[in-house]
Amino acid sequence: MASKTWLYAGAAIVSLLILIALLAPAIAPHPPLRQNLANDLIAYSADHWLGTDKLGRDILSRTIYGARISLSVGFATVALSLAIGLAIGSLAGYLGGWVDLLLMRLVDILLAFPGILLAIAFTAVLGPGLDHVVLALCLIGWTGYARLVRGEIIALREREFIHAARALGANPKRVIARHLLPNLIAPLLIQATFGLAAAIIAEGSLSFLGLGVEPPTPSWGSMLNDGRQFLLVAPHLTTYPGLAIMITVFALNLVGDGLQERFQARSR
Amino acid sequence: MKRYFIHRLLLLLPTLFGALSLVFLLVHLIPGDPVDVMLGETASGADKQELRRSLGLDQPLPTQYRNFLTKLASGDLGRSLFEQASVNQIIGQRLPATLELAFCAMIAALVISFPLAFIAARRPGGIADRGALLFSLLGLSLPNFWLGPLLMILFSIQLGWTPVSGRGGWLHVILPALTLGLGMAAILTRILRASLIQVARAEFVKTARAKGLSENQVWLKHMLRNALLSVVTIMSLQFGALLAGSLITETVFSWPGIGRLTVQAIQTRDYPLVQGCVLVIAVAYLLVNFFTDILYKLVDPRVSYGE
Amino acid sequence: MSGCRSNHDDRPADYLVVGIESHPIQLDPRYATDANSVRVGNLIYNSLLRADDKLRLQPELAESWRMVDGRQYEFTLRPNVKFHDGRPLTVADVKYTFESILDPTNQSPKRGQLKQLAAIEQTASHQLRFHLSVAHAPFVEQFTMGIVPTGSLRGDTPPPGSGPFKLESIEAGAKVTLKANADYWENKPKLAGVVFKNVPDAMVRALEFKKGAIDFMQNDLEPDMLPWLRSNTGADVSVHQGTTYQYIGINLTHPILQKRQVRQALALAIDRDAIIKHLLKDSAAAANGLLSPISWAYDTTVPRWPHDPAQAKKLLDAAGYPDPDGDGPLPRFRLSYKTTNIDLRRRIAEALKEQLQKVGIELEIRSYEWATFFSDVKKGNFHLYSLAWVTIMDPDIEYQIFHSASMPPNGDNRGRYRNSEVDRLLEQGRVESDQTARKEIYRQVQQILADDLPCVPLWWWKNVVVKKPSVKGFLPYPDGDLISLKNVTLR
Repeated sequence: MASKTWLYAGAAIVSLLILIALLAPAIAPHPPLRQNLANDLIAYSADHWLGTDKLGRDILSRTIYGARISLSVGFATVALSLAIGLAIGSLAGYLGGWVDLLLMRLVDILLAFPGILLAIAFTAVLGPGLDHVVLALCLIGWTGYARLVRGEIIALREREFIHAARALGANPKRVIARHLLPNLIAPLLIQATFGLAAAIIAEGSLSFLGLGVEPPTPSWGSMLNDGRQFLLVAPHLTTYPGLAIMITVFALNLVGDGLQERFQARSR
Repeated sequence: MKRYFIHRLLLLLPTLFGALSLVFLLVHLIPGDPVDVMLGETASGADKQELRRSLGLDQPLPTQYRNFLTKLASGDLGRSLFEQASVNQIIGQRLPATLELAFCAMIAALVISFPLAFIAARRPGGIADRGALLFSLLGLSLPNFWLGPLLMILFSIQLGWTPVSGRGGWLHVILPALTLGLGMAAILTRILRASLIQVARAEFVKTARAKGLSENQVWLKHMLRNALLSVVTIMSLQFGALLAGSLITETVFSWPGIGRLTVQAIQTRDYPLVQGCVLVIAVAYLLVNFFTDILYKLVDPRVSYGE
Repeated sequence: MSGCRSNHDDRPADYLVVGIESHPIQLDPRYATDANSVRVGNLIYNSLLRADDKLRLQPELAESWRMVDGRQYEFTLRPNVKFHDGRPLTVADVKYTFESILDPTNQSPKRGQLKQLAAIEQTASHQLRFHLSVAHAPFVEQFTMGIVPTGSLRGDTPPPGSGPFKLESIEAGAKVTLKANADYWENKPKLAGVVFKNVPDAMVRALEFKKGAIDFMQNDLEPDMLPWLRSNTGADVSVHQGTTYQYIGINLTHPILQKRQVRQALALAIDRDAIIKHLLKDSAAAANGLLSPISWAYDTTVPRWPHDPAQAKKLLDAAGYPDPDGDGPLPRFRLSYKTTNIDLRRRIAEALKEQLQKVGIELEIRSYEWATFFSDVKKGNFHLYSLAWVTIMDPDIEYQIFHSASMPPNGDNRGRYRNSEVDRLLEQGRVESDQTARKEIYRQVQQILADDLPCVPLWWWKNVVVKKPSVKGFLPYPDGDLISLKNVTLR
């Protein structure tokens, strides 16, 4: 089936990107931070295949190392958001009542609040940096997972087998716990895939506001932002990190779409 | 229906209150002092103390919070610390620009996504379907601050069709609306496509076909109507993302709206102005979602009260 | 390509469109603090004195003026000057302007600058006298304050001025439009008006210029865009010496940075010329101190720190910080360097990091948005930071920056510098009214600071002017003032 091919293609690209990130020191032709001011804005040379940036650093090497940073930001953000969302979502779903009401109001508040403002305020306090970027993105990021988990628990509660279990005298909460995880894996995995893509883009937006990773660390977002002012004189500064972001987001979305179709097909 | 309406409306209040309390705390707790920004390099400590007092910034935080809420209750958001105007007035000047941009971005998203989704849904899994999906993905994977300048260079400089930036006639709004709307278009295309495929398999469509309606009539009459509901839902959910995106798009396109104002206000620590901007953004977001709920309820009365 | 621009050109005929990076916040000269408010305001409001293109104070509204003694200044006003609303500008208006700033209920940010002002007295129909409580030579700078009509309140619309242009309209966050004042006492401006168009992004500003929607820009452009503008838009690009001084601030309470040898090593390790050539594209000139050659007090014999990494290493060794592994990865010591998060500032930080690494100092870059950064700098919460001093006219600025009584919150001695000799000289300099004597005092100050290095000089920024060739008659000012727009033609 065609959708399977796309899913595999997406997964292959993502795996390749992770491999590149892991092997960065071995495959990057130059140290990503080494400068050469006199050798700046080169579009192509035998030594620098993708050219050099304003400080004369090798763009290919920086893009390769950038995979490390950008993917780390993405994975860390998703993992942390997922953990918080899972905890708060199940708390709300299990306990219900006023705990649920309170926690869901908190989610509403954060969703109604301009998220980027929260990130600005947050990094204003802590300053930029990889870990702060991740924390800032998680501030809002967890809400989606919390809603999903809560919704799934409430839906489970209404399912027949829970009623049956209750009738048989089993503790319904334990039954929910046993059935929760298998039911959650698919939707959470799908949301995490899209979340990963969104986090990589969001890191770029923070860089645009000057709140991304600390220089000279290369991330795709910061490279894209650093090169933005040179769009007319040296477009290659933005082309490669931009392409890297596009390919990654693209592949992740293929995986997400593919997973969605598969799980939907199965549940039907 | 009336009960549902009131119930939803009452739920808005604590959320709004929470958002306002959050912004109040946030702006007052982050480092940086508006008095420093205002008085600049040359002022003496005593002058600063005095200015702080006359602005009420020397009072304990709970008192300031209470003052903020009492004034707010009478519709007064206070005065900007820097501009010689009330926050209401400043926001009033800037809000139309953002509404115009958001509205046009939504239109752009609809105009792009509808044809794409219909082409895709006609033959799920076909080449056209995959092509449409790929194209929509492009919109999701380009950061606005890069896409914007690329569009400017192409459409304004190379082709000469539009102005570069700024707000003016309808030509001015095309590029920023496209930049802002492309992400939403991508999401919309995917949802609409999925919903169209689902509707196509439904009984009433089969019945309609059996009754001898032409294929185009079936699509337009039945499927479109049913797909619209999901479109409205997605658009209201995406409204928050749209407002957040306007922060960056407005800066890139020199668009004098609320988004840029918010960034500026937080950079200068103009507390009343930040609070006012967040209030407006939160209210807009909540209202859009509220009306979507109501609309949903009107179309599909099965929606439960709890959510 | 530019042929189709006229369809969406919304400018009135013969108006000059100036692209600016940020919208003026507050035009009323009594409250204006941001650079663009001051620059636009200078076109609307006249002042008693005005700095010329060599930063010398010249009479404007004053027909003549004199310093009676160190504590009294007397001005005779030019007759027949009218505000834009037709009212004549009188002694009462001048008096009102200054007194309304001093009135604490008005919350003017400029009140602190007038603290030596004791009274203003009308001595004849067109004459007034300023009385100071103490002699304070730099007070003359305060006479460049824009004059507003009596009774002007702090309101929603800026009061009328008497300058060459009058305010036509303000579009919040987008543009400020000025219209030529046909009755201007000097001569009617040749332009019909000026539009200050706010385009926050530098690259977009360049595109607007290329498109023809902007006629004139000054500063805030990516230096690498200048050659592009020259060759792709036919722009007339020129660079002029300015006074804005960029430096590295040093925390002198830090145990390592307390040592003068370490500070001198920092100065030697930095390759200013390379940064200026490659990153700034010659839009700056290497500096040896706060006062620039444009200042009357500048001492031409102040030594300049060359780029000499070998000597820097020697000094660091001598100061007791040997490199643990020679040219290996281990540093002698680590320092944090705080800067704002503007692209170019961060790029400069990256270059500095690389240069200091070559002498064994590891720099950790911390970039913050402005308000947080500034708050840290004031609190002394830094090892190193970089900032600029803008518009330096009177050398007394050194008092505010280097005198031991000027530590925050009483001044801007943020590095907590303490030198009794410098203190003594700076106290002398502000009460001495003879310029030759003052020059000698500040010569000594400059010599001491250049050796002691309470901050490391980087460069003086130049003013970059980009304009359409049809814009004629613009005279650049070292402080970036745009007052000469009153003589500009657009043909």
